[in-house]
Amino acid sequence: MPDLSPVSIARPTGTRFSRVLGIASLVGIAWLVVFGLFLSPNDATQKAGVRILYIHVPSAWLAYLAFIVTGVSSAAYLFKRTRSLTWDRIAGASAEVGVLFMGVTLVSGSLWGRISWGIFWTWDSRLTTTAFLFVTYIGYLAVRGLGGTHQQRARRSAIIALLATLEVPLVHFSVKWWRPLHQQESVAEGKLDGLMLFTLFVGIIAFTLLYVWLVLHRQRVLAMEDALDDQGLDVALAERRAEGAQV
Amino acid sequence: MLASMSVSEQTPYVIVSYVVTLGGIAVFAWRMLARARKIAPQVREEDRPWT
Amino acid sequence: MDLSPREAVPTAQGRKRKRPWLAISVLVVVFVAGGLMVAKFLTSAVDYYCNVDEIGTKSGCDVGRNIRIQGTVQAGSVEKASSGATSFVIEYHGVSMPVQVGSEPSGIFKECIPVVVRGRVAEDATGKVFEGDEVIVKHDNSYDAENKDRVEQANAEAAQCSQKG
Repeated sequence: MPDLSPVSIARPTGTRFSRVLGIASLVGIAWLVVFGLFLSPNDATQKAGVRILYIHVPSAWLAYLAFIVTGVSSAAYLFKRTRSLTWDRIAGASAEVGVLFMGVTLVSGSLWGRISWGIFWTWDSRLTTTAFLFVTYIGYLAVRGLGGTHQQRARRSAIIALLATLEVPLVHFSVKWWRPLHQQESVAEGKLDGLMLFTLFVGIIAFTLLYVWLVLHRQRVLAMEDALDDQGLDVALAERRAEGAQV
Repeated sequence: MLASMSVSEQTPYVIVSYVVTLGGIAVFAWRMLARARKIAPQVREEDRPWT
Repeated sequence: MDLSPREAVPTAQGRKRKRPWLAISVLVVVFVAGGLMVAKFLTSAVDYYCNVDEIGTKSGCDVGRNIRIQGTVQAGSVEKASSGATSFVIEYHGVSMPVQVGSEPSGIFKECIPVVVRGRVAEDATGKVFEGDEVIVKHDNSYDAENKDRVEQANAEAAQCSQKG
């Protein structure tokens, strides 16, 4: 049962499950680094540049997944029978992680572009729609910070999230509607060499575990922040006092 | 440096992309846990149903 | 995880004690950035995208118009001047087109690789020339281990390249 021992305060959002998940994520990332940087072969054309694929593709996929989770959780909040602020917090946590993953996807992608295409950035359909999606979800997070009651925040941001979810298929199909510079997906068509495919697989597993771990914890931090808001000004003052004492 | 990954002009780009990606995620995770640790003592136990 | 509705009454004034102007200024930046992206996309990515064999035949792929042209760099056609200016020939479906660019293409540019060049088709007495502003290497989506069946691959590439020429 809950206790306020120093251990539980040291890991306030951790449970046995999340700890196992965290360790599994770390192991996955270690595997990814070993396979991605050391064990997998260079590409015949791209040479070492192909190694960026193993972090670029998983982070991009998980960013899309994160935004879809945000959309589904937001719908669950808006639906009366399932309405709970927990859904709102899952939506917010998932969007934050999605923005993080999308941000690193854009960075690794532009580095890859520099060594493969010769340019960091181009206003290609896939690149533009991805950047637009990134900016949209930064906007979504800003809307969450506008203030009001928790219910107002949840309702407002859920509507924005549902609208933003419509962009996800737009990004996906952008490579089919316009002829882009960006390559099509290689995985489904089996155009990856054996060990390369395996390394990418390791990357996707590692990033998936990491995503679940991050959202689980972030969602709990958001729950604690909401609870603090509910406790009111007394606690805020106490916190400020504690902060002052620490400095 | 490594058997299969010969050092080329592409190597710095590869290294930077891994550092930014994994480093960015690590910074996010660390800040999140630090925030949790900071506010946890003020949150009532019943508001932390997972513990 | 408890997903049952817990809060029947509206709860706390949330982030009200935090100043929302930070969120508002982020939103302003988001709107400006989003608008710029759309504008940039509409002005640059919409440069019509033509394959070499579509020049002069497909509407939109006309002489003098800003377009993006796609083709494969012909074997043995790359010539670099000391000034950095580079000329080469690209081809697609058996149709070829000489290209001139002012600077040396970067990335993994080489012979027998698909490229996209931004610029326009110029026509003079000697025929059509593509005046390129930017060369982008269009890597396809297949990846293969280096050194694996190297000879086989080189042969295949050469065959593919000469077959088209």
